[in-house]
Amino acid sequence: MDTKSSLSNNYRRRHASDRLMTGLIYVALILAITPLVLIIGDVVVLGGSQINLDFLTKLPVPVGVSGGGIGNAIEGSAIIVGMATLIAVPVGVGAGIYFSEWPESRLSYLSSFMNDVLAEFPSITLGIFVYIIIVLTTRTFSAVSGAFALAIIMIPIVARTTEESLKIVPVSLREASLALGIPRWKTVIRIVISTGRSGLATGILLAVARATGETAPLLFTAFGSSYYFGGNLFSPIAALPLLIYTDGISAYPQLQAVAWGAAMVLVGFMLILNLTVKLLIGRRFAGVRAEI
Amino acid sequence: MSMPASLAIVQPKFETKELKAGFGTTWVLKGIDLKIPPNRVTAVMGPSGCGKTTFVRCLNRLHELTPGAVVEGQALLDGEDVYDKRADPVAVRRRIGMVFQKPNPFPTMTIYHNVVAGLTLNGERDKKKLDHAVEHSLRGAYLWDEVKSKLTSSGASLSGGQQQRLCIARALAVEPEVILMDEPCSALDPTATAKIEELITQLKKDYTIIIVTHNLQQASRVADYTAFFYLGKLVEFDETAKLFENPKEELTERYITGKFG
Amino acid sequence: MPRLMDMGLDQLNSLLLDMATLSQQAVTSSIEAYSRGVKATEVRQMSNRLQVLNRQVSDLSMEMIARYQPVATDLRFLKACMEISYGFFRYGRYALDITQVLDMIGDLGKCDRTFVVDTARKTQEMIRLSSEAFARRDVEMARRVPSMDDAVDQSYRENLRKTLQGKGNLKCSMSSALILRYLERIADHAAYIAESVEYIATGIEPMK
Repeated sequence: MDTKSSLSNNYRRRHASDRLMTGLIYVALILAITPLVLIIGDVVVLGGSQINLDFLTKLPVPVGVSGGGIGNAIEGSAIIVGMATLIAVPVGVGAGIYFSEWPESRLSYLSSFMNDVLAEFPSITLGIFVYIIIVLTTRTFSAVSGAFALAIIMIPIVARTTEESLKIVPVSLREASLALGIPRWKTVIRIVISTGRSGLATGILLAVARATGETAPLLFTAFGSSYYFGGNLFSPIAALPLLIYTDGISAYPQLQAVAWGAAMVLVGFMLILNLTVKLLIGRRFAGVRAEI
Repeated sequence: MSMPASLAIVQPKFETKELKAGFGTTWVLKGIDLKIPPNRVTAVMGPSGCGKTTFVRCLNRLHELTPGAVVEGQALLDGEDVYDKRADPVAVRRRIGMVFQKPNPFPTMTIYHNVVAGLTLNGERDKKKLDHAVEHSLRGAYLWDEVKSKLTSSGASLSGGQQQRLCIARALAVEPEVILMDEPCSALDPTATAKIEELITQLKKDYTIIIVTHNLQQASRVADYTAFFYLGKLVEFDETAKLFENPKEELTERYITGKFG
Repeated sequence: MPRLMDMGLDQLNSLLLDMATLSQQAVTSSIEAYSRGVKATEVRQMSNRLQVLNRQVSDLSMEMIARYQPVATDLRFLKACMEISYGFFRYGRYALDITQVLDMIGDLGKCDRTFVVDTARKTQEMIRLSSEAFARRDVEMARRVPSMDDAVDQSYRENLRKTLQGKGNLKCSMSSALILRYLERIADHAAYIAESVEYIATGIEPMK
């Protein structure tokens, strides 16, 4: 007998619609992951064969010549991103501290707002801006201008993540420090920053990952080169995204293959950075959990 | 408002005169005249919003750090106004320790460093002095035996009650004269609470203790003197036993017997 | 808004009011038995009942103190409850003692009982006043009672002195002396009860 008791009411119908919805969600998930999987798949398949020690260390060679590599692009990216980080970290962390610890001032509110705007700015316009400011005045493309452009992209990211990480630090920790007779600036540096440090590190790494992949601004600033860095920061320098761009759109299959190889190096670097961030976040929450 | 007879001849440790405090245009404290006796436990109690926490945070000049905070009047520590123009808030706070409602050890520091944070962050480097301070303060907080073998583990690895005693040790290490406690047991279980209450009654031998509590029974167990605040005013201040057995003000009577709305 | 302990306090209050009525009756019955020479068998039952009620009051007061940590007026009320209930219990006991004296000594038709009955009226007035003062928590009324105690004390001692002179019928003097003693004790308790009424209201315990 199929009686509808209050416990089994509509169970079958609900179970079916439940499974339908779950199925739809899985489809959406697959659609979302597919591009990433395809891209990584493509990069690995098409670029993986290029990777060897020579590829990572030798200079590019003209079409028709065998061998060669992208060593200068890797070095160039490292230099530009390194310099950009040296600029962006003090400025960004400083701004983030100000936004977090002195939120009541009008300057803080305005700057924080402008910071958010800058974060969403089209990077190509930032590139043009630096082109006018530095490249035209120094009359040369350079690592310095490239670093500047990337720094402008990195600063809002660092500032925002610093602000968020410090804001999470409970007020009672600050008060405990102040109540001990520790002056405010020491409280901020030794207690607040120390407690939020993994968040800070995360933000810096994310900014580095973003900067490493930026192409548009470098078109007008670093410009690219076929040689290793020669010691002059005020001359054009190679970079991975630039190389991928120029080789990728060329008509020669040999250069296109180099572009895939370079893409794989870049993607590999990004994955490693992101994994590091994941590990850091894991540890950060381990510390915060005890607070709750 | 009358003073308890037993305090007439004693020099108060803390004395507030017309102390007012608030935020923006709203006064939370509306002029408090209170004499806190030395080496005794004084409880400050009252319903939510009566100003008891604000009062205590004015004593160590913590209140003014909130944006928009305003303070007027005097708070005399051993006769000297902590709000005097020449007074340094940081120096004031070194003479007054504070323990908060939720235990808040510094999560990135070991137990050892937590205890002496007030010393190391103000420049003390002498290892011998620090070692001595660690042991002395942890003993004073009834925590030494439980943690002496794990001084290098994280401050956050202790239980709630132990964390609170760690915070007390941290406050003691700076050698204050007054200890302020803002509902120190409200986040703890009854056993941990009992330990801390016992600790408080021992601590008063060396320190003046002011404890904010909304728990009437705690005030009656632990405090020698009790002040009852209501809507920013001091309603009654007397020896605890007298106040609880035969309060002079009807408002006090209604509050402690639970007849408040 | 009623509090958790209000139910218990109300219960205690009605227990005490019951005890007041019952003990007053017991005393009246025993005095009636004396003045008219009749039996008062119901007094024993009343006295036993008062003992049970006294125990109930005591237990309930202790439970309230343990469970609710009362303070101020509530605490004073609970302390006074136990004393007042004991007083009512004693009324019953003394009433019983009076009837036992009557049983033992027997017929008192030949005695002049007016003096004792007079004193008994004064005592009964004290009982009535103190019980009503308690029921109404009337401090003014309660304050009138302790001074009436002196009159009863005096009667007791006067009679005792006379008895020691040795004149008169032995049965009569024995019964008078004993009953006056019980009346004097009842009056004392009535005075204590009246003082408790003041204590509940003001927290002041007069010097005894």
